[in-house]
Amino acid sequence: MEAPTLVSHERSVLIVDSSSESREVLATALERRGCRILTASRPDQGLELAQRHQPDVIVLDLEVSNQSPEELCSPFARPSDLPSPRLVVLGSVRNSADVSAAGEIVAKPYHYAPLIRKIEELLEAATSGQASPA
Amino acid sequence: MRGYTAYWDALETPSRAPCRPSRHPGTRLILGVFIVPSLFVIRGNDQGTRFELEGDTIPLGRDSSNKVQIHDTEVSRQHAELQRTDQSYLLVDLNSSNGTFVNGQRIQRHHLTTGDQVQVGSTLMLYTGPPEETLEDLTGKVDITSRHPVEDSSRIVRSVTHQEGARLLGLRAEQSENSWLARARSNLEVLYRTALAVGQTLDIDQLLQRIMDHIFEWVEPDRGCIMLLDKEKRTLTPKVRRTTKGKRADEKITISKTIVDYVLEQNQGVITSDARKDQRWDPAASILQQGIREAICVPMQGRYETVGVIYIDTSTSPQQIIQQGGATKFSEDHLNLMMAIAHQAALAIEDTRYYSAMVQAERLAAIGQTMATVAHHIKNILQGIRGGSYLIEMGLAEHDEALVSKGWRIVDKNQSKITNLMMDMLTFSKEREPDLSPSDINRIVGDVVELMQSRAAECEVALHWHPGEPMPIFVFDPEGIHRAVLNVVTNAIDAAADSQESGSVTVRTEYAPDAGVLRVIVEDTGPGIPPEAMETLFSPFVSTKKSRGTGLGLPVSQKILHEHGGRILVESSPERGSRFTLELPAVLPSVTQQHPAPPA
Repeated sequence: MEAPTLVSHERSVLIVDSSSESREVLATALERRGCRILTASRPDQGLELAQRHQPDVIVLDLEVSNQSPEELCSPFARPSDLPSPRLVVLGSVRNSADVSAAGEIVAKPYHYAPLIRKIEELLEAATSGQASPA
Repeated sequence: MRGYTAYWDALETPSRAPCRPSRHPGTRLILGVFIVPSLFVIRGNDQGTRFELEGDTIPLGRDSSNKVQIHDTEVSRQHAELQRTDQSYLLVDLNSSNGTFVNGQRIQRHHLTTGDQVQVGSTLMLYTGPPEETLEDLTGKVDITSRHPVEDSSRIVRSVTHQEGARLLGLRAEQSENSWLARARSNLEVLYRTALAVGQTLDIDQLLQRIMDHIFEWVEPDRGCIMLLDKEKRTLTPKVRRTTKGKRADEKITISKTIVDYVLEQNQGVITSDARKDQRWDPAASILQQGIREAICVPMQGRYETVGVIYIDTSTSPQQIIQQGGATKFSEDHLNLMMAIAHQAALAIEDTRYYSAMVQAERLAAIGQTMATVAHHIKNILQGIRGGSYLIEMGLAEHDEALVSKGWRIVDKNQSKITNLMMDMLTFSKEREPDLSPSDINRIVGDVVELMQSRAAECEVALHWHPGEPMPIFVFDPEGIHRAVLNVVTNAIDAAADSQESGSVTVRTEYAPDAGVLRVIVEDTGPGIPPEAMETLFSPFVSTKKSRGTGLGLPVSQKILHEHGGRILVESSPERGSRFTLELPAVLPSVTQQHPAPPA
C-alpha cells in the first residue's frame, strides 16, 4: 500500500503506550502545540503506524511488551529506508548502550513538562532539515 | 553363607522357575542377605514385582518371550538384555525406542551394581547384586545409601504417625502400664518445658548434643545419629552421631536411603529389623550367627515443617538372643517415645537462632517481592496523577475549563486506584472474620456492574448482567463479596478489552439449592489464561508487569471466598475466553435475622 506522505512542515508524533491516561495526556498536550498525533497501545499496532506514516518522533513505553528494551526498540529505530525517527523511550534500561544509540531514555515516573519539552526539541531537530543520526 | 542359602532354598515353593516374578517381596525381605541378583520394580505397572536373575543372558522387554517382562507401553518389545559377568550383570540396551536409563543417565552398556536404579519406559527398578561386591565409602562416618544389601533386607516392622507419637505426651500416668515409659514420659515433659525456655540461648550443636544425651539415657541404643534437612539442596546432613561405650565407635553407620525417604515422605516413624518376625529359630540359620540389627528412624516434625531425622540402632548378639529368649530390643513403646522426642527436638531446633535466621531470610525474600510489586503499582498510579495534574495546570493557565475537567477525571480515577490498592492490601494481610449479615446478592452484584459500566464503556467492552431469579436473602459479608466480585469483574473487563474483536463480559448469579451454594459467574471473551499463568493466578507475589489492576485482585477475592467457606473456580480457553465462578455456601438467615440491613 502506498504510504501517504505528509506535508513537510506538519510535525507528527507516534505514541506507543499501554496506558490510556498517558496517551491521552501526551496527545492533548502535543496537539495543542500543533502536532499530528498517532497512538497505539501495542507494539505491533505501533510498528504498522510507524511504517505507514513515518512520524518524526516516536514515544515508546517499555512496558507495552515483555520483550527486552533492545528487541522492542530496534524495529522502531529504523522502520523503513527513509530517515529514522527520533525515539523517546519511557522506562528504565540496564545496559543503555544499544538503546541510547536509537534514542533518548526517560525514566519513569516522569514529569510531563520536561518530557513535552524534550519531544519538542526532537521535533525541531527533525523538521528543520537536519540529517538524522546514523 | 552355605547354610544360609540352604535355609532360604527350603522355603522356596517347588515349582520355581528362573526369574519367576515374586509378588510378595515382603517375605523375601525378612530373610536377610539376598544371594540371587534381582530387579525389584518400585514404580510402574509391575510395581512390587521382583525378578530374580539367573542365567547368562536375560532378555528384558514388553514381549511375553522376555524372562523379565515389563507391562509398559513405553517399553520396546525387545528392550534390553542382561548379560552375566564375573561380578554381576551387564545391562545392554537393544536399540530400544525410548532408551534405557541407569540412575537417570541414558546408557548403552552398563555394569550394574547394587542400588542402581534402572528405568525403562515409565517403569523404575532397583537392582540388587550378589553380596560379594564391595561398597564405596561415601561420606565420613554416616552414610545414607541405597547400596548396602543388608539395609535392603530390613523390613519395616511398624510405623507410626506423628500424631500417634505425640499422643504419648497426652497419656496420663495411670494409663501407661509400663513404668519405664512413664518415667521417660515425665522426663520428656521436663525436656519440652526446658527446651522452650532455653532453646533461644542454645546454639544448634549444643541443643543436638543435649537431645542425644536424653535419647541414650532413655532409649539406650547402641548408636544414634541426628540429621538435619537442608531445604535448598534437599539433602540430609549428619550433625551429631554417638556410639554407646563398648561398641565400635569407628564403624560407619549405614542407613538405607529407602527407609529415610519413606520416613520423610510419609512423615512416619519406622522400626526396621533384619530379623524374622517368627520367633522359632532354626539353630543352623545364619541369623543366629550374625545377630539381629534393629533400627528406629523418625522424622523431626516441627511446627512449620520437617527439619530432619533421628536414627538409632542396636544390635543383639546371638548369645543375647538366646539369653533373652529371642525378644527384640526395640518395641512399639520405643518407637512412640522416639517420635515424641523427635517432635520436641524439632520444636527446640526451630527456636534456635540458627533456624529462625533461616526462616527469617525466607520471609524477608517474600516481603521484598511484595514490596517490589506494590511499588510498581504505586509508580503507575503516581504517573497517572502527574498526567492529570499536568492537564489541570495547562487548563488553568489557558483558562480552559474542559481541559481542567479532563485532567481532574484522570486524577480522580487514580484516587480510586490508590483506594483499591490499599483495601486489597489490608484485606489480604489481615486475618479477617467476615462481617455477616442477611443480604441480597443480586443487589450487591448489580451494584458492582453499575460501578463498572463506565470503565467497560471506555474499554469498548459490552457488560451484560443477568441476575438469577428468584433469589432469596442469604447470610454473607456484603462488603467482602462486593470487593471479591469487583476484582473479578475488573479483570474480566481488562481481559475482554485485550481481545482482537470487540469484547464482552457477562455477569450472572445463581442459587443451587441441591448443592447448597450461591454462585456469581463472570465470563469474558478475552484471550484466555495460558496454562503457565494458571498456577500463579491466585498468587500475590508474582510480578505483574503488564497488569493494569492492583495485582492483588484475584488473591484477595479468593481469600474472601475462603473466609466464607467458599471457593473460586476458573475455566479458560483461548477460543472462548475465561469463566470465573465465585461459589459460597448458601446460608439462609435464621429467624432473628430475617430482615436485611437497609441499603447504605
